[in-house]
Amino acid sequence: MNRTDILITGLGAISAAGNGLAETLASFALAKRNAGPVTLFPTATDCPVFEVKGLPQEYLLEGQRTISLGLVAVDQALAEAGLDDLSGFRVGVCLGTTVASQLNDLRFYTSYRQQSSTSMVAVDRFLKGNLSEFIARRYKARGPALTVVNACSSGTDAIGVALSWLKSDLCDIVIAGGADELNHIPYCGFGSLGIVNPGLCSPFDRDRKGLNLGEGAGVMIIEKKSIAQQRGKSSGLFLGGYGSLSDAYHLTAPSPDGVGLKASLRTALLEAAIAPEDVCFVNAHGTGTFDNDQVEGNVLHEIFGPDLKMLSTKGYTGHTLGAAGGLEAVFTALGLREGWIPASAGFLNQDEAISLAPVREKTAVSGCYAVSTSLAFGGNNAAIVIGRGDNK
Amino acid sequence: MIILGTGIIFSQGMGVSALESALRKGWIKPSEIDAPRAEGLKRPVYQVDLDAVPDRTLLKKIRRADKLSKMSVLAAADALADSGIADISRKRVGIILATAFGAQVTTFEFLDGILDYGDTAVSPTTFSNSVHNAAASYVSSSLNIQGPTLTITQFRFSFQSALQLAQTWLNQGRCDYLLVGAADQYGDVLGYVADQKLNTATDGRIKPFAFNPTCQVPGEGAMFFLLGNDRTDNAYCSIDAVYTNGTPDCGKPADINIIDADGMLMDESAYLSLLAPDILATAYSPIFGSMMIGGAFNLAVAALMLKQQIHYAAPVLHNPHSLLLLDKTGPAHIGSLRSIGCNCAGDVSEVLLSRT
Repeated sequence: MNRTDILITGLGAISAAGNGLAETLASFALAKRNAGPVTLFPTATDCPVFEVKGLPQEYLLEGQRTISLGLVAVDQALAEAGLDDLSGFRVGVCLGTTVASQLNDLRFYTSYRQQSSTSMVAVDRFLKGNLSEFIARRYKARGPALTVVNACSSGTDAIGVALSWLKSDLCDIVIAGGADELNHIPYCGFGSLGIVNPGLCSPFDRDRKGLNLGEGAGVMIIEKKSIAQQRGKSSGLFLGGYGSLSDAYHLTAPSPDGVGLKASLRTALLEAAIAPEDVCFVNAHGTGTFDNDQVEGNVLHEIFGPDLKMLSTKGYTGHTLGAAGGLEAVFTALGLREGWIPASAGFLNQDEAISLAPVREKTAVSGCYAVSTSLAFGGNNAAIVIGRGDNK
Repeated sequence: MIILGTGIIFSQGMGVSALESALRKGWIKPSEIDAPRAEGLKRPVYQVDLDAVPDRTLLKKIRRADKLSKMSVLAAADALADSGIADISRKRVGIILATAFGAQVTTFEFLDGILDYGDTAVSPTTFSNSVHNAAASYVSSSLNIQGPTLTITQFRFSFQSALQLAQTWLNQGRCDYLLVGAADQYGDVLGYVADQKLNTATDGRIKPFAFNPTCQVPGEGAMFFLLGNDRTDNAYCSIDAVYTNGTPDCGKPADINIIDADGMLMDESAYLSLLAPDILATAYSPIFGSMMIGGAFNLAVAALMLKQQIHYAAPVLHNPHSLLLLDKTGPAHIGSLRSIGCNCAGDVSEVLLSRT
C-alpha cells in the first residue's frame, strides 16, 4: 500500500470554538476564546471551562451528551465525505472517549446509596451508550467497532487504529476520532490533582497555571483511496502515519525525558516515510500544565529543531480529554488545507525551560505534512502524521 | 498469530496450573457475599482473592493500585512468565486491554468522595485509579513495557475486538509481541444491577446450555495472552481467524465449539443455531462466573486444550436441548476449536484456533 493511499475525505468538529468547520475557523482567525463558568452541573468551584453552547436540539439525547456531540461531528464529517448511505461499504467505527465509558451518574449513585428504589434508567442509558457501538448502530456501520479509552490520547489512538484497520483491509471506510462531554466527575478529579487553572489556560507560557476542561467532538472519515475513487470522491488530505508508545513511568506524570513521545513521533514519521524537516507544523497536546508543556516542548525541539511552527489549540477548546485527539487531528487537517494556523491562544512569554515557543499570531503554513500529538494519563503518547497532496 | 503464553487470575487462583486444576475439579460453588442493598440476602459471586497470591513482589510494587489494576498486572506478568521467552521486556511489546466496565468500583469510590466531602476534597489517588486506562498503565510501568498501550471498552465482544486489532498490529510490525488481555471486577453496584436486570442463579450454578431461561453468577478476573507471529516450543496454538461481526467460517469444521453463554442475556437461544449436532459443544462460564469479557476465559481454556491435547469436560452438563456436550475429561486429539459469542443485538463473534 502506498503511503498516501489512506485518504481523509470528511471532517467534523464541534467544540467551544464552534459548531462546524466554518465557525471554528472564524474563532481561530479572531483568536476568540469562548470560555466561561460551568453551567452544565452545580459545583462549588469556579474555574472556567469551555462548554459547547447551543448544541442543536435535534441532537440532544438526555443523559448522553457525549453521544450527542459525537453525532453532530459524525454527521458533519459524513456530509463532507459525501456519504449519505453507508450500505455497500464495510464501515468501521473507532472513537475515543473517557466520560461515556463510565457509569458515573451521580443521581443514580445517590439513589443507590440511599437504599431507595433505584431507577435503572441511567444504567440502561449507559449499557446502550458505548460510543462506538452507538454510532455503529445509528449509522448501520457493519465493520469493526472499537471504543478507545486511553484517557487524553484516546482520539489520536482511535485514528491510529483506523489506519491499521484500513491497511489490513478489515474495512473500507472508518468513522474515527473522539467525543467527550464536560462532566462533573473529571471536573472534580482534575481539580483534586491540582492542575486546573483558575483563569484561562496558557499552553507553553512561562506563567502557565494548568488546564481548563472543555468538551466537544472531532471526527474524520478515513477511507482507502480505491474506495474514494470508486465513489468519485477526491481529497487533498491523507493519513500518513501513527505512532503510539508508552513511557512505562508514572500514572499521572509524563516521563521527564519524553521517551515515549519521542518514540511515538519517530514511529509516526517512519510510517509516513518522511523526515522531521518535511513537517510544516505540529499541533501539540499543550495542555497548559507545567509538566506536560515542558516535556512536550523540549521533545518537539529535539526532534523538529528550533524553526518548527508549533501551537496548542487548547486555548480555544479547553482540554476535551477523549475528544482532544479527534478535534486536534481535524484542526491539523484544516491547517494544512487552509494554509494557516491560529495563534496559540494564551501564550505570552517564553519559558526558559522550554526550548521552543508556539506561534503568537495567525501564521501561514506551506508544506505537505503536519503532526498532531497527544499525551495521556498513564504515560500514553500518540502521534499522527497528516499529509496534503494531489489525490484525485 | 500464535498464543505464546497465558496468564490468568480468577476465583480459583492464579496461573495455568490453577486453571488446569479448576477444570479437572469441575463446578465449584461460588462464595456467597452480603448484598448491601438487601438485608439478609446473600449473593453468589466468583471473586478473586488477592490475599491468596503467594508472590507479593508485584503487589508491593503497585500497592496503590485498585483491584482491577492488580489483577491485570498479575495476569499480564503471568503470561510473560508462562511464555518462557527470555528478556521479553527488551523486545517490542505492546499491550491491549479489553474491559466492559473498567474501574467501576473505584469510580463509585470517587463518587462517594464527592457525595461525602464535596467537589474540592476528593482523593487524587482514587481519581487516577478510576481512569479506564489505569490498569493497562500499571501493566506497562510495572513490567517496563514501552510499546503501544491501548485500553478498549465495549459491551460487545471487547476481547475479540482486541484480538482482531492485535492481528493487524503484529502483521504491520507495530510490535513483535502483544499482551492482549481482558479484565473486569465485581462490585456491589454491578451485582445490584445484575440482580435487577438478569436472573441470578440461586443455587450458584450457571447453566450455559439452558439458553432460556438463563441464570447468571457474577464473576471477576483477568486473563492475558502473549501473542506473536513466531512459533516457540512452549506455544499453545495459533489464532487463525477473528470475526466480530458475523460468522463467515461457521460452516468450517472444528473439533469443538466453545460458547460464551453465561446468563448475561435473558435469552441465549441464538447459540442453538450456531451449534452443529455432530460437533462437541462446551462452555466454562460456571468456573469463572458471568462476565461480558467471559469469552477471554473460554479462549484460555481452548488454548490449554489445544496445547495439552486434553478434553476438559463442561463443568455443568444440564442439557435440555440434547446437545452433543463435551462431558468427559481426558486425552484427546484436537486439531481446531471455535469460540462463539452472541450479544443482545443479535451480533455474533467467532475466534478460530488450531493446533500449532
